Amino acid sequence: MPDELTPKPGEARPGTDSGLAGAEIEPILTVPPVVGAPKPHPILVVDDLTRSFGGLRAVDVDHLEVERGVVTALIGPNGAGKTTLFNQLTGFDRADTGRWSFDGQPVSSPSPDQLARKGMIRTFQLTKSLAKLSVLDNVLLGAPGQVGERLSAAPFRSRWQGQEEANVEQAEELLHRFNLAHMRDELAGTLSGGQRKLLEVARALMADPVMIMLDEPMAGVNPALAQSLMRHITELAFEGLTVVFIEHAMDVVTGISDWVVVLAQGRIIAEGPPWKVIHDDEVIDAYLGRRRAGAGS
Amino acid sequence: MAFDIIFGNAARAAFGPEAVILALAAVGLNVHFGFTGLLNFGQVGFLLLGAYGTSVSVATFGWSLWVGILVGLVLSVALAVAFGLPTLRLHVVMFAIVTIAAAEIIRILIGSTDAIGLTGGPLSVSFDAEAFYDLNPYPDGPHDRYGVGTFEFTGQQMWVITVGWVLVALVSLVVFLIVRSPWGRVLKSIREDEDATRSLGKNVFSYKMQALIIGGVIGGMGGVVDAIKTSGADPNGFRPQVTFFAYTALLLGGAATYVGPILGAILFWFLREWIESFLRQLSAEAWLPSTVADFLDGAEGVISVAMVGLSLVLLMLFRPQGITGSRTEMQLDAR
Repeated sequence: MPDELTPKPGEARPGTDSGLAGAEIEPILTVPPVVGAPKPHPILVVDDLTRSFGGLRAVDVDHLEVERGVVTALIGPNGAGKTTLFNQLTGFDRADTGRWSFDGQPVSSPSPDQLARKGMIRTFQLTKSLAKLSVLDNVLLGAPGQVGERLSAAPFRSRWQGQEEANVEQAEELLHRFNLAHMRDELAGTLSGGQRKLLEVARALMADPVMIMLDEPMAGVNPALAQSLMRHITELAFEGLTVVFIEHAMDVVTGISDWVVVLAQGRIIAEGPPWKVIHDDEVIDAYLGRRRAGAGS
Repeated sequence: MAFDIIFGNAARAAFGPEAVILALAAVGLNVHFGFTGLLNFGQVGFLLLGAYGTSVSVATFGWSLWVGILVGLVLSVALAVAFGLPTLRLHVVMFAIVTIAAAEIIRILIGSTDAIGLTGGPLSVSFDAEAFYDLNPYPDGPHDRYGVGTFEFTGQQMWVITVGWVLVALVSLVVFLIVRSPWGRVLKSIREDEDATRSLGKNVFSYKMQALIIGGVIGGMGGVVDAIKTSGADPNGFRPQVTFFAYTALLLGGAATYVGPILGAILFWFLREWIESFLRQLSAEAWLPSTVADFLDGAEGVISVAMVGLSLVLLMLFRPQGITGSRTEMQLDAR
C-alpha cells in the first residue's frame, strides 16, 4: 500500500468511515448552525471543559462536537482561548474540568504522547522543527510503531532496516508533496520559516493521524506558500482525514473550511458553515467590538 | 629544558588509567548531554557508586571482585532511577541542580565518620584487586617496563590500560549502534524539542530515563576502573570537579560525536600533564627569578588546571563545536 500514489492519510483505518471522504461531506450541511449542535459522525466530543488562569477563565466550553472527515476551523480574536483549548484537547495542558471522547473512546487525564498514538496529531503555532536533525529525519520521527525505537532492537540494524526503508520511501513522498524534496539532507534549522511550517505538517502526516490539529498553520507564511498550504489542507480532508485548524484571520477560513467554530473570551459564540458564520452579528461584534449596541439596533 | 621528559609525562597521562576513567565518564555524559540534552551535573555520582560499590563489596563484605563490579554497576542504575524519577519531568535547569546536589550528598555521606564501618568514611577504603591482576598477561617483574623514556608503564599499569581502552572502544561501539538507530533519533529529537517529540507519540520520559541509565552505567564503569587502578576508593576523589572535567573533555572533543569524548579525554590529560610538567621543569631553571620560582613551586597542578580552563574558554571562542564537532550544527544555535 505504501507504493500507491495516494499517501497514507487517505487509507481506511479502524474507526474511520472511509465512505465519508470527498464528495460525501454533505451530512455536515444538514447540521443547524447552532452552538453545541450534534454532528452526524463526531470524532471528537467535548463536554463542560474549563480552564482558568487565576481569575481569568480562558476556556469554558459546554458542548462541542467535531465532525469526522471535514475541515473545521477554530477562529476567534486574539486571546480568545483557541490555543489554550487546543492544548487541553491534545493533553499539553491539564483542563480544570471537562470530559471528552476521541474516536469513540473516552479520554481521561490524557498525555500528549498517548493521544498522539491514538491518532490525534497536532502542530504548533511557533514551529518546532528539530533544528539539528536532517529534514528527512524530522519526517521519519513521525512514523508510528517503529521497531527500531525500542532499545532492545536498536543495536541490531537488521531488525529495523526493512521498516526504516519503507518509512524513508513514505517520507520522501511527503517531502515531495510539500516541495521539500530538494532539502532532504539539509539540517532542518536551515529552513525558512515557511518551509518549517510545511515540514511540520509533513511530519504530522507521517504519524498516520486520524485527526490533525494545526495551530495557525498560515501565520508568518508568505501568501503563495499559504495558498499551497491551504490546498494541501483541503486535499487532506478529501482523503478522509479530519482537520481542525486555528486561524485568527476570518477571510482565510472561508475558502477551505467546511465548518467554523468561533471562540471569544473562552466561550464558543457561534458555529456553522463559513458563509453563515461570517455574517453572524455576534461574531462581527466579537471581532469589531459592540458598535451596534450604540446604534440602537 | 628537557622537553622529551615533558612530552613523555604528558603522553603517559594521555593514555594512562586516568584518561580511561575520564573517557568513560565523558562517553556516558555524551549520552546524557550530547545526544539527549540532559544537563547532568552529577556524573561524578555514577563514578563514585561504581568505585565504592566495587570496593565496599570486596573490602567490607568479602565478596569476589566480579560480584563487586556488578554491584557497582547495579548501584549506578539505581542512582539513575533515583535521579530520574523525581526530576526528569521538571525543567532542564532543575535537573542540573538536583544532580549536582545529589552527587555531593552521596559523597559526603560516604565520607562521613558515621560510615567508617561500611565505606571507610574519610579514611577511604582499600581492597586487594588480585583477581583482576591474576589475569595480567604482561610480565610484571620489578624491572619490566613498557614504553620509551618517561612514557612508560609497569606491567600492572599496562594491563589496566589495555582492558580500560578496550572497554572504552566497546562501550563507544555500543553507543554508536544504538544512537544511529531510530531510538537514537528519538533521543536527538528530545534534545531539540521535547514537546514536538511528545506530539508525535513518543514517551519522552521513558526515553530520557533509558538515556540516563545507559550514560550512568558507562560512568559507573569509569568508577570501577578507578577502584581497580587504585585498589580502593577515597571520597576526595569524587568531588564535583570530576563532572566538570568530564564536560571539558566532552566539549573539547566535540559533543554528540562518537570519538569526541574519547579524543577529548586524551587531550585533556595530555594538556594538563604537559603544562604541569613544563612548569615543574621551568621552576627548576636557574635563570628564573626566585620570586617566580617560589610562586610556581608546588602550584604547578593548580596552574595547569587553570590553563586547561583557559584553553576551554579559547576553544569556545574559536572552535565551539570542539575538535570533531560540526560547525554548521553549532551555528544553528546562534539563530
